[in-house]
Amino acid sequence: MESYLVAILTTASVYAILAMALNLQYGLTGLMNFGIVGFFGIGAYASGIVTETLGQPMVVGTLAAMVVAGVAGALISLLSLRLSGDFLAIVTLGFAEAMRLAFNNEDWLTRGPRGFLIMTRPVLDGLSREATPWFILAVFAAATLVTYLLLARLARGPFGRVLRAIREDDLVPATLGKNVLLYRLQVFVLGSAVMALAGSFYAHYIQTITPQNFTTPVAILVWMSVIVGGAGNMAGAVVGALVITFIYEGTRFLAPWLSGLDPTQISSLRFVIIGVLLIAMIRFRPEGILPERVAPSRRDADKSPPPQTRRGTT
Amino acid sequence: MKLSRRLLLSGAAIALSAPAYLRMGLAQSAPIVIGSMTPLTGGGGPYGPEKSDAHRAVVAKVNADGGVMGREVVLVSENSETNPEAAVRAARKLIDADGVSAILGTWASSVTLGIMPLCQEADVLQLYSGSSDYLPDADRKGICFNLQPLNRAWAVALADLAVQRGFKEVGFAGPKNDFASSMGESFGESMQKLGGSISGEPFYYNPDQASYRAEAEQLIQLDAPALFIAGYITDFTPMFRELVRGGYTGQIFALSFAVGPEFKTAVGDAANGILHGSPVPPIGKDSYDAYLELVGLTPNGQVQASYGCMAYDEINLCLLGMEAAKSTEAAAVAAEIRKIANGPGDRITTFAEGKALISAATPMNYDGASSSVDFQPNGMLQSRDFALYEIEDGTDTILLTTTSSATE
Repeated sequence: MESYLVAILTTASVYAILAMALNLQYGLTGLMNFGIVGFFGIGAYASGIVTETLGQPMVVGTLAAMVVAGVAGALISLLSLRLSGDFLAIVTLGFAEAMRLAFNNEDWLTRGPRGFLIMTRPVLDGLSREATPWFILAVFAAATLVTYLLLARLARGPFGRVLRAIREDDLVPATLGKNVLLYRLQVFVLGSAVMALAGSFYAHYIQTITPQNFTTPVAILVWMSVIVGGAGNMAGAVVGALVITFIYEGTRFLAPWLSGLDPTQISSLRFVIIGVLLIAMIRFRPEGILPERVAPSRRDADKSPPPQTRRGTT
Repeated sequence: MKLSRRLLLSGAAIALSAPAYLRMGLAQSAPIVIGSMTPLTGGGGPYGPEKSDAHRAVVAKVNADGGVMGREVVLVSENSETNPEAAVRAARKLIDADGVSAILGTWASSVTLGIMPLCQEADVLQLYSGSSDYLPDADRKGICFNLQPLNRAWAVALADLAVQRGFKEVGFAGPKNDFASSMGESFGESMQKLGGSISGEPFYYNPDQASYRAEAEQLIQLDAPALFIAGYITDFTPMFRELVRGGYTGQIFALSFAVGPEFKTAVGDAANGILHGSPVPPIGKDSYDAYLELVGLTPNGQVQASYGCMAYDEINLCLLGMEAAKSTEAAAVAAEIRKIANGPGDRITTFAEGKALISAATPMNYDGASSSVDFQPNGMLQSRDFALYEIEDGTDTILLTTTSSATE
C-alpha cells in the first residue's frame, strides 16, 4: 500500500506543479489558459527528445523543455494576450489541440501514435528497487517545494500585487504606468515554463508518452485543482491538486462495497461520485479550501479588516 | 460547512488507512489477485464490457471448483478509459495497492504500451489483445502475451485478396493512430511481396473530425483502382459517404469491425461490393461455443463477442500458468504459459481440464475460444483464423477463411 501512496503522491506533485503554474496565470492574473496540456506536452516531448534522441542528461532535458515551452508561451501570448479573457481561452484550447496533432503526426520527431519510450529516469545509479520510488518522490516533492517557494514569493511581492491589480481591472495598473502587456507576457512565459517542468518530470516518470497522454481531461483536472484549492492562493493550488488526486484515486477503493454492480456500472458510478464531490465542494466552499488572502497595506492595517477580493465575495 | 483542520486531517487519515485494513483482512486467506483492466469507456467502450464479463465468468467458475493452487482468485476490475494517462494511474493502483500478479484485458495499444514499463518493473504479467506491430518491442522480460495477431498478419490476408481480385495497386488510408499507421506499413510490404504496390504514399487522417470531405477529395484524386481504408466505424462511415458523394467508383477494402450492421443501415445499398476482413474466432468450434455459453450467449454461426473470446483465453492461460508453476511469479508463470499454449500434449479447452492434467503431470496443449493460441517466442500469436467477406445485398457473404500466419 505504501508504494501505491508513493506513486500517487508522485503523480499528485506533477499536478501540483501544473496547478501552481495555472494559479499564477489564472488565479493571480486572470488569464484563462485552457491550453495547459499543450505546454505540458511540449515539456514532456522536448525533454524526451533531448535525453533520448540527443543523449543528454535529464537536467539538460528539463531545462530545454522549459526554454522551448517558454518560447512557445511567448509566441502564443504575443498572438493573443491583447485579446480579453474568453478569446485567450479559445486560442489556448486551439493551441493545445494543434500541439496534440503535431505530436501525433510528426513521427520522425515524436514517433507519433506508437509512443515515445524514455529510458532516462530521475534516479541515481545503484539505487535499490525499493528505494527508487521513494527517491523519485523526493525529487518530485523537492521540485514542487522549490516551485512553490519561488511562485509564492512572486505572488507576495510587488510583482504579485500588480498581477492582482491586472486581474481586477487592467485599466488601473495601466493608469499607474504599469506595462500590462509586458506583465501578462511574463506571467504567461513563466507559467508555460513551469508547466513544461511538470511535463518533463512526468515523462521521465511514466517512461512512455503518447499524444493521448496530453488530452483536455488533464487540463480539466488542473483547473479543478486550482478552483477547489482556492484560486489566487499558491498553497491552495498544491492542496487542491492533492485533494483532487485523492478524490480521483480514493473513489477506486469504493468498488469492494459495490459488489452487486458490474465493473462498467462501478466505473460509471465512480465518475458520478467524483462529480458530486466536486459540486459539493464548490457549493459549500466556493472560495476554495484555502481562499486567497491579501495582506492589508501598511497604512490601513490597524484601521480596517483586509479588503475582500472579487472572488471572496462571489 | 466549515472544514476544520482537525476534520480534514482525521478524515484523510481514516480514508487513507481504510485499504490497509481491507488488505489485512484479505491476507489471511491469501487469495491470488488478478487485475482486469478493460476499456469500459472511451474509444474501446463498445468492447470493454464483454472482456470484463469473460474474466469474471471464468474466475467465478474457477473459484467454485476450488480455485488455483487451492487459493481463491480475486479479480480486481479497473477501467482503462482507453487512455494511457488514466490507465497508468489505474495500473499503479492495481500493482501497488492491490498487489496483482497479472494485468489482463488491455485493448488499445497505447494503453498496453503505456502500462508496460510499470508492469515490467514490478514483474507483473500482461495478457492483452492488440495488433500494433510495435507491441513486442517494450517487453524486455518476456512476460507479455498477445491474443490478437499483429497487423502484419491482417495485411497479408487482405493484400492476397486484393491481388486475387486483380488489384495490383491499392491506395491506403487510415486514421493516424498506432493501429492504422503500422497497418499501412505492413500492407505496403505485403503488396510488394505479391508484386503490387500502394498508390502513392499511405494516407493518414486525423480521427474524430466533423467532416472528411477534404480527405476524401484527396483520395479520389489519387485515382487508385482500389482503396483500403483501415478505419473504425466512427471515421470509416463518414469517409465512405464522402467517397461515394465524390463519385469514387473503385473497389473499397475495409476491416470488418468498421462495416458492421450500423454501417450497413447507415449507408444502405452503397455498402454492396465492399470487401472486408478481420481475425475471427473459430465459429462452430467447441471451445468457442463453450465460451459463448459461459457468458450467456447462444452460438448462432456468426461472430459474437470477438474481443470477449480473447479475454476468456487471457484469464484461462493466466490461471493455468499459475496452477502449473505453483507460483504467481511472472517469469515462472510465463514459462508455463508457453508450454501450455504451444504444447505438445493433450488438448484442453478449460481451466478444469488443465488442472486435472497438471495434477497428473501430463503435458497439455491449450486450444482456445479465440484461436488455437500458440505463441511465438516474443509472446505474439503465431496464427489466427482470418475471414474475408464481400457485402452482397446488405449482408456479409463469406469468401474464405484462412489461418493467417504471423511468422511468415
